[in-house]
Amino acid sequence: MIRWWTRRLGAVVITLMLTSVVVFALTNVIPGDVARRILGREASQASVDAKRMELGLDRPLVEQYGSWLVGFVRGDWGTSFTKQEPVRDLVLSHLGKSLVLAGITFAILLPVALSLGLIAGLRSGTRTDRTITVLGLCGTATPEFVSGVALLVLFSVRFSWLPPSARSEYGLKGLVLPVTALVIVCTGYVTRMVRASVVSTMERPYIRTARLKGISTVSLVRRHVLRNSMVVPVAALGVQLRYLLGGLIAVELLFNYAGIGSVLLEAAQQKDVPTLQAATLISGVTVMLTFVVSDLAYGALDPRVSMSKPR
Amino acid sequence: MPDNDLQRQWASELADLARSGVFTRREVLRKASAYGLSIPLIGTVLASFGTQTAASDANPGASTVDGRSTSSPTRSSSPMSSGAPGGILSIGALTPSTAVDPVVGFDAASIAIFQLTNEYLIGLNRDFTLRPQLATEWEPGDNGQRWMVTLREGVTFTDGTPFDAEAVTSSFARLLDPESPSSSAQSAFAGILEADGVSVDDTGNIVFELVRPYADFPYLISSNTYNAVILPTEYAGSYIDNPVGTGPFLLDSYSAAEGATLSRNESYWEAGKPLLDGVEFKFYQDPQAQVIALQSGEIDTQVTSQIGLLASLEGNGDYTIDEIESTGLNVLTMRVDTPPFDRKEVRQAVAFALDRVAINETLYNGVDTIGNDHLLAPAYPASPTDLPQRELDLARVEELLAGEEVRFTLTFDPPTRDYAVVLQEQLRQAGIEVELAQVTSDEFYAGDQESDTPWLFTQSNIVGWAGRAVPTQFINPMVKSGGIWNGSKYSNPVVDTAAETYDTSTDDEEKQAQARIIAEAMHDDTPIIITTWSTVIRPFNSARWTGITAHPSSYIELNDVTQA
Repeated sequence: MIRWWTRRLGAVVITLMLTSVVVFALTNVIPGDVARRILGREASQASVDAKRMELGLDRPLVEQYGSWLVGFVRGDWGTSFTKQEPVRDLVLSHLGKSLVLAGITFAILLPVALSLGLIAGLRSGTRTDRTITVLGLCGTATPEFVSGVALLVLFSVRFSWLPPSARSEYGLKGLVLPVTALVIVCTGYVTRMVRASVVSTMERPYIRTARLKGISTVSLVRRHVLRNSMVVPVAALGVQLRYLLGGLIAVELLFNYAGIGSVLLEAAQQKDVPTLQAATLISGVTVMLTFVVSDLAYGALDPRVSMSKPR
Repeated sequence: MPDNDLQRQWASELADLARSGVFTRREVLRKASAYGLSIPLIGTVLASFGTQTAASDANPGASTVDGRSTSSPTRSSSPMSSGAPGGILSIGALTPSTAVDPVVGFDAASIAIFQLTNEYLIGLNRDFTLRPQLATEWEPGDNGQRWMVTLREGVTFTDGTPFDAEAVTSSFARLLDPESPSSSAQSAFAGILEADGVSVDDTGNIVFELVRPYADFPYLISSNTYNAVILPTEYAGSYIDNPVGTGPFLLDSYSAAEGATLSRNESYWEAGKPLLDGVEFKFYQDPQAQVIALQSGEIDTQVTSQIGLLASLEGNGDYTIDEIESTGLNVLTMRVDTPPFDRKEVRQAVAFALDRVAINETLYNGVDTIGNDHLLAPAYPASPTDLPQRELDLARVEELLAGEEVRFTLTFDPPTRDYAVVLQEQLRQAGIEVELAQVTSDEFYAGDQESDTPWLFTQSNIVGWAGRAVPTQFINPMVKSGGIWNGSKYSNPVVDTAAETYDTSTDDEEKQAQARIIAEAMHDDTPIIITTWSTVIRPFNSARWTGITAHPSSYIELNDVTQA
C-alpha cells in the first residue's frame, strides 16, 4: 500500500512539473505582449518596455521559470500581471467555488443517475427503459450553454423564480440553474453506463440462482446487483467529476460564476503567466486526486483489484 | 476670473458666426465652453440668435445636455431627473481585464468606476460641451499657447485632505512623465504639453504652458482624456486599497470577479448631488449573460452595450434604449506605399465598391451614421456637409480599375471580424478579392509601433477607435505625415498644414475652412475608408429609473439619476 501511494505521488509530482514546463513554454510561444495588454495599444514603446522590465519579462526564460518555481514551492505564487492581486488568493478562491459547484452537482448527479440507470437496467426493453435512455441522450447531446440559456430565459426572465446568475449574493439559490444545467448534461452518460452494467449483472448465473432461491427483488438489488454493477460506472463518474472540476468555462461564463475555469481562460487570453501556471497546477492536482479516489473506489468495490500491484 | 481680450475677441467672432447662421446654438455653446467664456459673455453671444437664454443654459458648467433626439424603441426625451431621490442603481459591465487604476485604466468598467469616485478639472458633456468640475474657469493667453485655470475652492478629498493646486500639478506630473503608463494621456498631450509645462501662479491658479498654441486645449484636460483625473498629491498606486477622490461616490468594496459597491459621498461639493444612495457594479464575462441580467432585473443599465444583443428588449415598455451619435469608428486602412494601394484609383475603387447603408443595416441595426472617408465626423461642428457622399457605384469601380485585377490581404482582430467578413463579401461582388487574416488582439497590437506591429504595418487592416472630442486627435496621429498611428503611411503637406492651422486657429470660420481642406484631401486621396461612425447606445430600466443617458464616450454620469 505504501509503495502504491509512493508511486502515485511520484507520478503526480512529475506530471505537474512537466505540465508547468509545457504551460510556461506555450505562454511564451503564443504571440502577444502582456505589458502591451496592461497598458493598452496606445501606450508608447518606452512605457511598454518599462512595464516589461517591471514584470521581469526582460529576463531569460529559464531564469523566469526558475524564480517562479522556487517561489511557488515556497508558497509565494506571485502577483497577477493583469489583476495586480496575489495569485494564491485569486486561484484558491476560484478553486473553492469550483469545488462547491462540482460537489453539489456530483451529489445530485450520483443518486439521480444511479437510480435512473438501475430502473432502466431492471426494466430493460420496456417503455420506461426507452424513455429514460432517450431523455438521457437528449440531455447529453444538448450543450450546457444551450440548456443554460433556456433555463435562464424560462426561470429567471419569464417567471422570475430564480436568480439569473450564480453571483455570491444569491448564495445556494444562485446555484440551482447552473447545477441543473450540469446535471442535465452529465446524467445521460452515467445513466447509460449504469444501465448497461445492471443489464449485464442481471444476466449472471448467481442472480438467476438467487431468484430461484426466492429472494425478494429489493434484497436482490441491494445485496447482489448494486455492488456488482458499480465497478464500470465508477469510471464514468470519475470522468464526470474531472469534467466538473477541470473548469466549466461555458457554465461559469453564462451564469457569471467565478470558478477556476474562467480564471484559466482569462489568464491564458491575457498571458498572465503567474496566474495561468498556478491555476493549471492546482487544477491538475484536483484532477489527479479524482484519479486516486477512483482507484480507491475500484479497490473497495472489487477486492480483486490490488493496491499493491500496478494495474 | 474676468474675460480677457482674447476671449472677448473670440466671443465677438462667435456672435458673428451665430448671426450669419454658420453655427447653431449648440455649436456656439460648445465653443464658448471650450474658450472658457464667462456666463454673461456667453449670454451676449447667444443673444445673437435673438433668444434670451437662461443662465443655466449659458453656463458651460451646467450638467444639462441637449436632449439630442433618439431613435430607440422607447425614447428618453429628457435626461433631466424628475423622480424620487435615493435607491441603489445596479450597473452591468464586462469584467475589467486589468486592475482599476485611474492613471492607467483604459477599459470601460474601470473608467466608469473611477469617474464616479474621482473628477477632472473639466467635464465633457454628451454634446461635446464642457462643464466645470474641479476647475471653475479657464482662459487662454498668448494666443492659445498658455491656459490659466481657476480651481474650485472648498473641495476636499474623501479622506479629508483639501483639494489644492498641488494635487493638480502632481496629477499632471504623473501623466506627463515620459515613462508614464497612461496611454490616454500620452496620446492626448504628445507634442502639446510637457512635464515642465504645468505650474501654479501667484494667485493659486494653474498655468499650462503649451509647446504650441492649441485652441481646444480645455478638451485635453477634461474627461475626454479619461486618465486625467485629479488624485491626491501622495497617490502612489494601489487605487483599490486606497480609493481617494473628490467624486460624487465613495468606493466601498471591490472584487475583480464580482463587481464594486459605491455609496454617496456625503461631503460632495455640489450641494444636493448625487441623488442616488449608491451604485452597484456587477461584472460579467459574457455580453449575452449581461443582457439576460438586464431583462431579469438583476441590473438596471449597462456601461457598454451591443445593439445586436438587445432585440429581446424590443416592445418591452419597461426599458428605454438611449442613443447618441459618437465619433468612434472602425477604420479600414490601406498602405499607400505598398501595391496595390500605392495607386489612388485602387483605393477609391475599394471605397466605391462598398454599400455603406447595407453595412450599417447589417452590422449596426441602422443606428450608425454613414461615413465619407474623412476624419471629420458629422458630430464635429466643423464637419463639412457639402462633400459628395460616397455610395456603392460598381460602374465607377470598373472605370477606376480599368481591368486591373486587385487582391489584397486584410488583417484584423476578433472585435472587427463581422465587419471584415462583410467587406470581403461586398468587395468580391465588385471583383476585388480579399484574403482575410484574423489574428488575436494580442498579436494584432503586439510588436514595435515604429517597425512591425501588425495594426500599423500590414498591407491593409481594420482598427477600432474610441471617440475623440477634437477631430485633430484623430487627424494628427492617424493621417498627418509621420503620425504615430499612421498605418496607411499617408503623407500630404496640404493635410499637415491644415491640421496645424486648425489646432492653432482661434477663428472658428478658419477652423471650418481648414477642416474642409483636410476632409477634401482625405476624401480624394482615400488613405483610409470610414463606412460608418458609431452610435453609442445605453439600455436602462425606465420603469425604475430616470435620467440615465448614453454618452459618446460610454461614460456613466449619475448625478441627476433618480427613481422613476
